[in-house]
Amino acid sequence: MEILIHGAVSSAIYAMLAVGFTLIFGVARVLNLAHGSFYALGAYGTYMATALLGWSLLPAALMAIVLVALLGVVIEKIFIRPLRHSQLGVLMITLSISLVIEQALFLIFGSEYRNVPAFIQSKVSIGGIDIAGQRLLVVAVAVLAIGALYLFIQWSRLGSAILAISQDAEAAKYMGIPSDRIFALVMAISAGLAALAGVLAGPFLSVQPTMHLLPIMKAFAIVIVGGLGSIPGSIVAAMMLGYAETIVAYTISTSWTEIVSVLATLLMLVFRPAGIFGKRAAF
Amino acid sequence: MRGLHQLDRSSAVAGTAALGTLAIVPVIFPGNYLMGVLTVAAIYGIWAVSWDFMCGLTGRENFGHALFIGVGAYAAGYMNVQIGWGPWWSLPIGMLLSALFALLLGFPTLRLRGPYFALAMLSAAVIMQRLMLIFWEHTGGEEGIQDITPLIRNHLHYYWFVLVLLGVITFVLSWLARSRWGLILRAIRGDEATCLAAGIPITRYKIISLVISAALAALGGALYAHYQLQVSPQLFSIVTSITIITMVYVGGMGSIYGPVGGALLLTFLAEGLRDVGEWRLMVYSVLLIMIVFFLPNGFIAPLWQKLRATLRGR
Repeated sequence: MEILIHGAVSSAIYAMLAVGFTLIFGVARVLNLAHGSFYALGAYGTYMATALLGWSLLPAALMAIVLVALLGVVIEKIFIRPLRHSQLGVLMITLSISLVIEQALFLIFGSEYRNVPAFIQSKVSIGGIDIAGQRLLVVAVAVLAIGALYLFIQWSRLGSAILAISQDAEAAKYMGIPSDRIFALVMAISAGLAALAGVLAGPFLSVQPTMHLLPIMKAFAIVIVGGLGSIPGSIVAAMMLGYAETIVAYTISTSWTEIVSVLATLLMLVFRPAGIFGKRAAF
Repeated sequence: MRGLHQLDRSSAVAGTAALGTLAIVPVIFPGNYLMGVLTVAAIYGIWAVSWDFMCGLTGRENFGHALFIGVGAYAAGYMNVQIGWGPWWSLPIGMLLSALFALLLGFPTLRLRGPYFALAMLSAAVIMQRLMLIFWEHTGGEEGIQDITPLIRNHLHYYWFVLVLLGVITFVLSWLARSRWGLILRAIRGDEATCLAAGIPITRYKIISLVISAALAALGGALYAHYQLQVSPQLFSIVTSITIITMVYVGGMGSIYGPVGGALLLTFLAEGLRDVGEWRLMVYSVLLIMIVFFLPNGFIAPLWQKLRATLRGR
C-alpha cells in the first residue's frame, strides 16, 4: 500500500516534468536541457515570495509559475530560436543557460537547503498508513494539469495547431499556422508545468541550486523509454519509472534508485531506441 | 574546408616553439604556484585534445567526457592507495579500464544521432558519480581517495613529463586527423548516410575513436590524480565535462591544436579569476554562451590560420 501511494507521487512529479520536456521536443525539435532549471526556479520562486517577501502561499506559487513560463518564452525567443537549425547548438546553449541559472541561484541563495512551505500540512490516513497531504495533492494536481493539457491539445484550435506542427512543421507553415508563436506558447506550457512540479514537490524534496540536474536526467530517461515526442508514452513511462524506483527504494535501498532510470535508458537505447510509443523518426 | 589543413612545417615549428617556451617558463620564473598552474593547464590540454579527436572530428558531442577522466583518476587512486601498487601501474591500467568503458557504452549509444549520444553520455557520467557515493567503502564517498603517491617527486620534472605527453599526443592526433582515418571521421560528421552507402563501417570508426579518446582522457585523469595526490567524485561532475567542451569551443572544434590553446588560455583565465571565486563558473557559462553565439568556429584555430596566411603572403 505504501509502495502504491509513494509510487503514484513520484510518477506524478515525473509525468509533469516529462510531458513538458517531450512536448517542446515533439513540436519544435528542441531538446531543452534547461528544463530542470524551470523546475528549480519554480521552487525557488515560491521560496522567495513566501519566506522573503512574506506573501501567502497560493499567490506566491502562481506568481512563480507565471514568471517561469514567461522566462521560458524569453529564453526560447532570444537564445534557442536563432540556433534551432542545429540540435547540438541548442543543447550547448540550453546547457549553458541551466548552468548560468544554477550559478545565479547559488550566488543569491547560497548552497544551503531551503524550505518551501506545503499547501497541506496535515497528514491523511489511508488504509492505516499516514501520508502527507501535500503528496496526495501532487497526484491530484498532476492528473488535473495533464488532463487539462490533453483536452486543450485535442479539442482547442491552438491545440490542433500544436498537433499539426508536431506532425509536419513545413506543411503546417504552408497552412498558415504561425509556428513561431506556437513554439512560444508550447515553451510557456512546458516551462510552466516544470515550475508547477517544482512548486508542488519543493516541500518534500531538497531545494538547492543543483536540484535541476536530477529532474532533467529523469525526464530524459522517461522520454527515451516512452518515445521522444509522445505524450502518452511519457505518461506511461513516468508511471513505470516512478513505481520501479519506489519498489527499489523499499526492497533494496534508496541510494540505488538513481541507477534505475539510467539503466532503463541504456537498456531501452540498446533494444528499442524509438521507445515504447515512439516513431522511428528520431533515429 | 574548415579544419582540413595540412600539418605543414610552419605548424610543426610553431608547435615545438610553443612547447619549448612552456617548458622553460618555470625555469625562468621559479615558483611552485606557477608550475602548478602550468601542470594543470597541460593536463587540461590532454583532456581537451582527446575530446576534440572523437567529438570535434565526428561532430558527436560527448557531454560525459568526465566519465573517462574520473575512471582514469579513480583507477589510479584505488590501485595506488587501496591495493598498494606502484604509481606507474596507474597509467596503463587506467587507460585500459577507460577504453573498456568506452567500448561498453559506445555500442549502444553511438548508434544514436548527436543529441541522444550527448545526453546518454551525460547520464552515464552522472551515474558514475552516484556509484562513487554508493560504494563509499571502496571509493571514500564524498571525500574520495587521499594520499596517492606522486609519479615523479620533482615538480619540475613531473611538469616536463606531462608536457612531453601533451606534445606527443597532440602530434599523433593531428597526424591521425590528417590521415585517411581523420578524413573518414570528418566524412561521418558531414553525412552519415552517404558514408554508409559508400561501404564505410561507420560504427566501427566511431567506436574506435571513442576508445582512443577515452583512453587518453583516462591518461590525463591518472596524471591529475598523481599530481593532486587525491581524487574526489567532483571529477565525474558535469562541470568537468563542460569546462573541457568550453575549452574546445574556444580553441576551435576539430582542429586538434586549437583546443590545446583553449585549455591553456582558459586555465590561466580561471586562475586570474580566482579572486572573484564564486563567480568563476558563471563567467565560464556566459563565455560559452557568447562563443556558441558569436564565434562558432572558435577563437584560437581561426586566429592561427589567419596569422599563417599573412606570414605566407609575405
